[in-house]
Amino acid sequence: MSERVSVPIEMVQSWRYSSGDSMERFSNGIRHKRIEAVKCGNCQRRYLPPRPVCGNCHLSLTEWVPVSDVGTLEAWTVVYLPFLDGRTGELRDGPYGMGLIRLDGSDTTLNHFLNQNDPAKLAVGMRMRIVWRDELHGAMDDILHFEEVS
Amino acid sequence: MIREEAIKIPFQYAAGTAGSEFLINLRDHRQLTGSRCSDCERTLAPARAYCPDCGREGLHSVNIGPGAELVSWTIVPDKGVFALVRPDGADTAMLHKLLGPIDDPQPGIRLQVVFREERSGHINDIEGFAIVQENGE
Amino acid sequence: MRPVAIIGTGQTNHARCRDDVSQPELVREAASRALDDAGLQPADVDAVILSNMELFEGRALPELWVGEGAFANGKPCMKIATGGTSGTSSCIAGFHQAASGLFDIVLVVGFEKHSEGHTQTGMALTDPFWDRAVASGALGNFALSISQYMAERGVSEEQAARVAVKSRRNAARNPHAHLSDANATIEDVLNSRLLAYPIHLMDMCPQSDGAAAIVVASGDKARKLSAKPAWVKAAATRHEQPYIGDIEQRLLTMRTLRDASRSAYATAGITEPLKQLDLAEIYEPVTYAELAWYEILGFCAEGEAGHLIEAGVTGIDGELPVNPSGGVLSANPVGATGVIRVAEAAAQILGRAGAHQIEGAKTALATGYGVYAWADAVILGSAV
Repeated sequence: MSERVSVPIEMVQSWRYSSGDSMERFSNGIRHKRIEAVKCGNCQRRYLPPRPVCGNCHLSLTEWVPVSDVGTLEAWTVVYLPFLDGRTGELRDGPYGMGLIRLDGSDTTLNHFLNQNDPAKLAVGMRMRIVWRDELHGAMDDILHFEEVS
Repeated sequence: MIREEAIKIPFQYAAGTAGSEFLINLRDHRQLTGSRCSDCERTLAPARAYCPDCGREGLHSVNIGPGAELVSWTIVPDKGVFALVRPDGADTAMLHKLLGPIDDPQPGIRLQVVFREERSGHINDIEGFAIVQENGE
Repeated sequence: MRPVAIIGTGQTNHARCRDDVSQPELVREAASRALDDAGLQPADVDAVILSNMELFEGRALPELWVGEGAFANGKPCMKIATGGTSGTSSCIAGFHQAASGLFDIVLVVGFEKHSEGHTQTGMALTDPFWDRAVASGALGNFALSISQYMAERGVSEEQAARVAVKSRRNAARNPHAHLSDANATIEDVLNSRLLAYPIHLMDMCPQSDGAAAIVVASGDKARKLSAKPAWVKAAATRHEQPYIGDIEQRLLTMRTLRDASRSAYATAGITEPLKQLDLAEIYEPVTYAELAWYEILGFCAEGEAGHLIEAGVTGIDGELPVNPSGGVLSANPVGATGVIRVAEAAAQILGRAGAHQIEGAKTALATGYGVYAWADAVILGSAV
């Protein structure tokens, strides 16, 4: 094969996203460590993240219900492979624990980091609690990670 | 609520067969390369692996330029003047920079490719296309 | 709707890095081979459908840049992107275009050049308000679901490893495969690097550079052009709610795949998939998913998937060979991967699958999977 040329290009882009009303209310809540889900009046499903319409019933979601900062670990992993975080351009090194946690009061799960990265110490069904950051700014990374309820 | 987010991802693009030949000829020979389709009797600029019209592969590489003709142009504020230029010997135009000074260039005026001294096998090995003054300079 | 069939397929030689060719040249390689296989010229193609995930290559309008490589100049051309299902969705769109009478010959081409970008990073650009800060790409998504699947069904790491062994060994018969090893063992899989518990390197699909194409023909054309067309018996697709946390149990329940396959089975008259299907080319992004989906696809009862793989039922000489090509675990150029599933199923019916041909294959299933949010099921047969 004759010589081939390959060209490096770094994509750096900025975006500006609108949350919509329901996510705005949610975000304002977590600034005060208050978590709220929306509930479908038809199927009774309580949704996180909050959203304007139930995807199953196609009905508007207007009822807000309180959600605990404690929940159940429904699924978990420990990631070893370093991950290039597109938000920063930096590598997120492993191992780090991740989980899907069903907070009490919600019917969906949320995925987040766990403070535990030893597979031997993680199990489906464990009770987990949110650990908040010291400074809250109304975004999901106000949650530092989840820890086991002792 | 508004959230501003940046993304930063590196990419690495393969120029492929004809693209590599074009870029290597810029780098090593200060030469523009086109591809000739003998079926369509058209020469395409820059070089490519197959004819976009008839689909034929195995096109002949031909030298094009260094002279060129201005097809159209626009001014991009803070970035310069961009132009579609048709290198001599080619039937299609390619996009590059028009080098100043520029005084109301008209389509059809004569241009000359200008290469950089430092070349790496990149489209920017071409600095741009300069307008050939009427006295031939 | 008119009957439609696949009359030709083409694939590139998939690899970790195909920097010998540009994106359009890669597309051309597969498109040319498909036309050659069908005995057609570029001028015979009425319309082109492309499949690709542009964030993986970071290039705007990939369909613009590569369309020419798929002979699309002067023809109707568009791209379909639905994550991993992009390829199967594009094939289904091609079936619809031919079945509706819009076009007689549709060329469907999928491609991806993962070597040019950062796939997992692109995939993790999820909802900026909800989970972008924690997203970890496909690997994290699967690994999360597997803990639940293992806890619920008691599948073992060794049973999952058997899926990888089958894949690598089958791939050794397939000249297009990216990864192959005729002598792969369970120990090789279990000893390969842990990427995300419990997924070892050999449990996970690779990121490949590659392209694949099929030629779809209306029934009349198919009969004229092919001695043995691969007829489209059924094609179904399903979409799901957007967030991973919306979906109950994911791998275990996989509502999209369950519904799509049940719909396709009903259309094709399949009541006993294990008996009636001669082979399946399923989109298995990770070993555990193949096991989970044996159950979803009705190949066995819930909780029996581990035994199915242990008994060799889905091996290349088994009752229902699953992924005789080596599957997604052996080649995964995402935009092409779904097209490969359909192309491999079609090649089996056409009798042109080479060293991994299943003798006398008459009915084949191909599936697509897209981030839990999509699933496709396609059934091909040797008779209309």
